[in-house]
Amino acid sequence: MSTLLTHIAISDGKIKRSSLEVLSHMRQLAEANRHTAEAVIIDAEASNYVDEVKKYGPSTIYTVEDPIFENHMNTPLLKALTKVMDEAEPYIFGFGSTESTKDILGALAANQDAAVLSDVSEFELTDEGIEAKRPVMAAKILSDNVAEGDRILVSVRSGSYDLDEGDADADVVDIDFSIDDSEIQATLREIIGASGDKIDLAEAETIVAAGRGAKDEEGQDLINELASVLNAGIGASRALTEAGIMDPSLQIGQTGKVVSPQLYIAVGISGAIQHVAGMTNSKVIVAINKDPDAPIFDIADYGIVGDLYKVLPPFIEELKKIKG
Amino acid sequence: MKFYVCIKQVPDVDAPIQIKDGKLIQDTDRMVLNAYDASAVEEALVLKEEHGGEVEVVLVGPDKAKETIRKALAMGADKATHIATSGDEDYDSATYANILATFFSDKEYDVISCGKQSQDTDAGLAGSMLGEHLDLPYATNAVGLEAEEGTLVVKRQGDAGQEIIGLPTPCLVTCSNDMNEPRIPSLKGIMQSKRKPVEDVALSDLDIDESSLQPKTKVTGHMEKPEREPGQKFEGEPEELAQKVATLLDEEENVI
Ligand SMILES: Cc1cc2nc3c(=O)[nH]c(=O)nc-3n(C[C@H](O)[C@H](O)[C@H](O)COP(=O)(O)OP(=O)(O)OC[C@H]3O[C@@H](n4cnc5c(N)ncnc54)[C@H](O)[C@@H]3O)c2cc1C
Repeated sequence: MSTLLTHIAISDGKIKRSSLEVLSHMRQLAEANRHTAEAVIIDAEASNYVDEVKKYGPSTIYTVEDPIFENHMNTPLLKALTKVMDEAEPYIFGFGSTESTKDILGALAANQDAAVLSDVSEFELTDEGIEAKRPVMAAKILSDNVAEGDRILVSVRSGSYDLDEGDADADVVDIDFSIDDSEIQATLREIIGASGDKIDLAEAETIVAAGRGAKDEEGQDLINELASVLNAGIGASRALTEAGIMDPSLQIGQTGKVVSPQLYIAVGISGAIQHVAGMTNSKVIVAINKDPDAPIFDIADYGIVGDLYKVLPPFIEELKKIKG
Repeated sequence: MKFYVCIKQVPDVDAPIQIKDGKLIQDTDRMVLNAYDASAVEEALVLKEEHGGEVEVVLVGPDKAKETIRKALAMGADKATHIATSGDEDYDSATYANILATFFSDKEYDVISCGKQSQDTDAGLAGSMLGEHLDLPYATNAVGLEAEEGTLVVKRQGDAGQEIIGLPTPCLVTCSNDMNEPRIPSLKGIMQSKRKPVEDVALSDLDIDESSLQPKTKVTGHMEKPEREPGQKFEGEPEELAQKVATLLDEEENVI
């Protein structure tokens, strides 16, 4: 019997849903293979999240609580994760693939001499380790991968697994942690543009994404109005984040975020493979583009060929009526 | 400042690819400088132009990758080291990081930089692995760099906001292509690149033990990603289209 441990990421005072997706899958794997599923929360107020995590059925929840974890910094997080690995001795250690995970996953694997697969879209246990699928070549191709050894790290793309609750009677184990200032060489000077009330695109049910076609003020106003009618998160193509029109954290695609909403509306976006890489797992895709040959139409469930400035106003009106 | 920029040659993801017996075959064999590494080279050049110093690129890869080294030199890098592999090895991120860590173990530098991920595999692991091996302070996913005396100031795109991080040198940073627009080599740059020094290093020249060349992960196959079913495309009067699609989303898809 081995331990399948899941890292529960906290950001802006909320549990990242992608971590709970991983925990749900790990618990199912544990049940099917007679392993134990455990979870770890590393945060300035880790204990606040224990009750929520319990619902997903880990048998043990480790907490590492220290004010240093208020903001993401890789050195303290790495130190905490290595302590947790010493204590829990996980066979598999799973993470939701957030930017914070990407910051430490390679370093943790190097530190622990562990095998590691990042950003997988699914994984299963084998006799020697895990096998996993990863999107590669700007997500045009899926690769099959195996990782072997007695310590394996894996990070999973958001939206890969459904949430699944289990027995809520976990033991809680607090792990002692301290770090001296002298151990942290980097200084976090400032955080710009973080706001707790922004919709996390990785978790949004509906996303309105704007591309170069909607770059002027009128276009932006229409995007904002459409998003507010649908209560949607706003995303962007690289053309707009690069031009400084949209906040860089809103970029969707290979460089940006991977999203999997129920509804994705691409407005004035051509559909370059690097953009599509981030949104092709959306349930329903709507594209509005004036070029009938734009590649975005190859993947859209509903394509509207037309000028967005003419299409969006009546579209918004219709949606308002429906929302009534 | 002395910059080492680790670069990689990758297949052009825009070129057509086929899968034969689970392996990726690119008929055109079009190989390019990884876009994220190109941004790392560009930023090192900008900082060198501002503060002086030297930019050296390091590439681990087969002979064919020389053309990618030339590209970085043509952009303006001063010199290069080519750590030669046969290209048939099934190295993973960890093996590359081990090779680079061994190479850097006796080098002096202010900054090691690289792309935040490879354009082909998107693994994004080697950078922080190398930082850990060399025990360097590091930051990933940088979208901006500035140099201060003894400190590299990194603007990092985090989950929500942008973190401004001061890293004392020597340090390591991985770069996003959101950082800059890499320059296209000029004709003069291309001519000059031919005279710039490229040092060839064999794996056997490095004091690297056999076990750290054994990958812990393997790619065992490839498949086309299942395509989405083609949908419906509407042309005509904007008002009608808007109404039609809004109704479909509501009544057929139930996503409004
Ligand atoms: C390594 C790498 C990583 C990348 N990562 C990303 C990424 O993460 N995310 C990303 O988005 N891109 C990424 N890119 C860039 C990508 O290749 C494209 O350049 C980018 O997605 C283009 O953005 P766009 O579709 O908004 O602009 P364009 O390609 O210029 O398309 C604009 C579209 O708007 C339409 N349009 C214009 N006016 C109107 C109008 N009035 N009404 C309706 N339609 C109109 C046009 O017909 C056109 O199709 C990456 C590139 C590289 C090399």
